[in-house]
Amino acid sequence: MKSPGILDHAFGAAYAKRLGGLPGAATTALDALRQRARVTLGTDGLPGPKLEEWRFTPLRGLAKIPFIPAASAEDIEVSDVPLSVPKIAGAARIVLVNGVYRPDLSDQDFSGVSVSPLSTKNVDGRELLGHLATPSAAPLVALNTAYMAEGIALHVHGAAKPIHLVSIGASGAEPAAFHPRVLIVAEANSSLTLIETHVGLPGQPYFSNPVTEIVLGSGAAVRRYVEVAEDADAFHLATTAVAVAENATFEAFHLGLGGALVRQETHVAFAGTDATVKLHGAYALSGKSHHDFTTVIDHHVPSCKSNQIFKGVVADDAHGVYQGRIHVARDAQKTDARQLHKALFLNRGPKVDCKPELEIYADDVQCAHGAATGEIDPDHLFYLLSRGIDPERARNLLVEGFLADAVNEISDETVRDVFVGQIAGWLKKRGVQS
Amino acid sequence: MATRETAAAVKDIEQYKYGFVTDIESDRAPKGLSEDIVRFISAKKDEPEWMLEWRLKAYRYWLTLAHEEPTWAKLHYPKIDYQDAYYYAAPKQQIKLDSLDEVDPKLLETYKKLGIPIKEQQILAGVAVDAVFDSVSVATTYKKKLREMGVIFSPISEAVKTHPELVQKYLGSVVPYTDNFFAALNCAVFTDGSFVYIPKGLRCPMELSTYFRINEKNTGQFERTLIIADEGAYVSYLEGCTAPQRDENQLHAAVVELITLDNAEIKYSTVQNWYPGDAQGKGGIYNFVTKRAACRGKNSKVMWTQVETGSAITWKYPSCILQGDGSSGEFYSVAITNNYQQADTGTKMIHLGKNTRSKIISKGISAGHANNTYRGLVRVGAKADDARNYTQCDSLLIGSTCGAHTVPYIETHNPTAQTEHEATTSKISEDQLFYCLQRGMTKEEAVSLIVNGFCREVLQTLPMEFAVEAQKLVGISLEGSVG
Repeated sequence: MKSPGILDHAFGAAYAKRLGGLPGAATTALDALRQRARVTLGTDGLPGPKLEEWRFTPLRGLAKIPFIPAASAEDIEVSDVPLSVPKIAGAARIVLVNGVYRPDLSDQDFSGVSVSPLSTKNVDGRELLGHLATPSAAPLVALNTAYMAEGIALHVHGAAKPIHLVSIGASGAEPAAFHPRVLIVAEANSSLTLIETHVGLPGQPYFSNPVTEIVLGSGAAVRRYVEVAEDADAFHLATTAVAVAENATFEAFHLGLGGALVRQETHVAFAGTDATVKLHGAYALSGKSHHDFTTVIDHHVPSCKSNQIFKGVVADDAHGVYQGRIHVARDAQKTDARQLHKALFLNRGPKVDCKPELEIYADDVQCAHGAATGEIDPDHLFYLLSRGIDPERARNLLVEGFLADAVNEISDETVRDVFVGQIAGWLKKRGVQS
Repeated sequence: MATRETAAAVKDIEQYKYGFVTDIESDRAPKGLSEDIVRFISAKKDEPEWMLEWRLKAYRYWLTLAHEEPTWAKLHYPKIDYQDAYYYAAPKQQIKLDSLDEVDPKLLETYKKLGIPIKEQQILAGVAVDAVFDSVSVATTYKKKLREMGVIFSPISEAVKTHPELVQKYLGSVVPYTDNFFAALNCAVFTDGSFVYIPKGLRCPMELSTYFRINEKNTGQFERTLIIADEGAYVSYLEGCTAPQRDENQLHAAVVELITLDNAEIKYSTVQNWYPGDAQGKGGIYNFVTKRAACRGKNSKVMWTQVETGSAITWKYPSCILQGDGSSGEFYSVAITNNYQQADTGTKMIHLGKNTRSKIISKGISAGHANNTYRGLVRVGAKADDARNYTQCDSLLIGSTCGAHTVPYIETHNPTAQTEHEATTSKISEDQLFYCLQRGMTKEEAVSLIVNGFCREVLQTLPMEFAVEAQKLVGISLEGSVG
């Protein structure tokens, strides 16, 4: 279905003109990829509201803003990592500012993994770029591929030291857009823990459009923990595509704490048997924040497991969305696939939309999904109050307890503690405001 | 001799049980659809001017939708040529009858084959039958008795003339002609259906029932049913369908509108057993139905129960708009697809009033090469304080070539609302099957028993006489799916 090409209005031709030389412009492979994506983008445009996948997340607000390429805004200066970015003990930091790798702010002591900016001449596995996240039928991937600024490639050889990827967004006098690209190739039996923090500086709205491709070899284990705490006016539309080979394990957790419009879309395709995917997330939204979790899990092969637990808290006029699709192909017998979404309302005003979808073509499978919404149980609150806990703390405890179901799925203790801390911080900030 | 009889009987069973054609000369409109056909139908029905105007408006609107036939459902079928169908066919018999003895014996025999012994029903079951044969209601019984109590139960074409004020007030008020492609088509060319009005405070003493039957070759069936339960009224309405065997696909686009005022309740039960096509997926009915209830009054209630075993294509979403405070909607569904059948069915529960309740229990069973989709929406509006919803949809797959899909939409715009959705997909467990087999059951009996157990929650909500038929149907529909 062709969607309205709203790209033309906001940052179509003008955007391309101001683009200048993209990093790695001379690299033939990159240029060809960009060229193809530009053609797709030209015909498909940005997704309109009539597109089923985008019915809960309209991009009208985004389309109105005349973004310029962040790379061409010379007045942006970021000299330090914001204090809100947590320090992860034992992890090497990589910093991207508006999608561009900043060696001056990044650590260099990696082990078990080679890190190279995409514009580097010889990048291991660069030929895999664009294979998982394909521009056709995914307008935002097309947008990213057409204008991807610098990105990085992580090639994991063995048991790698954890990496903390920090993406900082900032606009100058004009709203800026950037399109970070990350490629992760995990060799057979290698392992990596990747923590990502997406933050931004206040000011003009900015638009972050990251695309991440993750290829897991047989027996590889990748854990990816993403925190999105963008500026209140910022747009963040992220797409992740993952391919999981036999016996590999992919664990992901997404934490959404803010941004004007955030969407985290994850596509997982099982490529080998006996693989496991855990895809969990939580959101805590206030103000006019909109957060959308979209997941598509393709069980093409037998005997794989996938589990999804998403929990969210919404306050003020926020809007939470979860739409997940599990597809079990004819041959994918012995599949075990589960999805759960629960949302908690903190006041009158927010909206929660949920669409957990099962599409099953094999009979010997275990598939289940659940969804529920509600508000804080007055009995629970009363229980805590009657034990002398003050109302605000009691409510916060219940919210933390509610989100804990999802957060506890994080297998890395250090990261779990950090994320619990971030949620507590969100509650504290909110407590002061109300 | 006995052997030959048995052989014949077996052959008979193999055939679609209700696959026969009654040869009655019918009065039909020329093939195709145009304003003239709409006028023809209206004239044939001797309708007042306002009714024709409404039909024409609907027809003109439908024309603007020419390229907007819904495609979002998980259904695959060749493009329907709407000009290649007859839109009106009526049995010749038009004379008003005093008793059943005057009814064409051929018609009566058809009913017998269908298992509708009208006379027996009158005496035993206390069910008033408004039998729709093709498009015109032929025999209406118990009418007098109901009339005495103030119940209006008549063909809608008659109600247009006898109770125009009620029809004009309510027709299209729940499903307007602008609602969707098939509803617009229905508004333009509907031929007949049932009209029920239950007056204030009356609990309808008997279950009302209509048997629909497609008979004429290539005749689209466009039924229109309108049921109004006035304040404090209650009615249980049964709808059952069987259709003769056909090679060509037959289009069926019905509209059912239910309206409940304060404290009223409507229970609407359907057993749908249209011809599903043969084992190769040839033929079968295309069933595109718009069913919707408006719970307008306080504490009013609508309960939909459906057992969908027939049709090649089922596109059907009986819905409830819960407008009145404290109103409630329930939806119980069993959808069985076998061979190449496709069903995309579910419900919509729109919570608008305070303290509204909804419950959805859906059981989908898929066998052979069939695809079975549950598609449902639960929406809680910003003003629907303390709304509650519980949804459970379970799918059962029999064999590895079928598909079962679940597409629920849950949209909550109110903090005090509680919505719950659960869904599972499974197959018949080897243990259960083994347990039955070692007790001497055949595999088919075992499957029928297990599947009946799987559907029990839904079948229990059917009125008794329907429940018995439905249980048998569940077994029959899955014949040949295991082996």
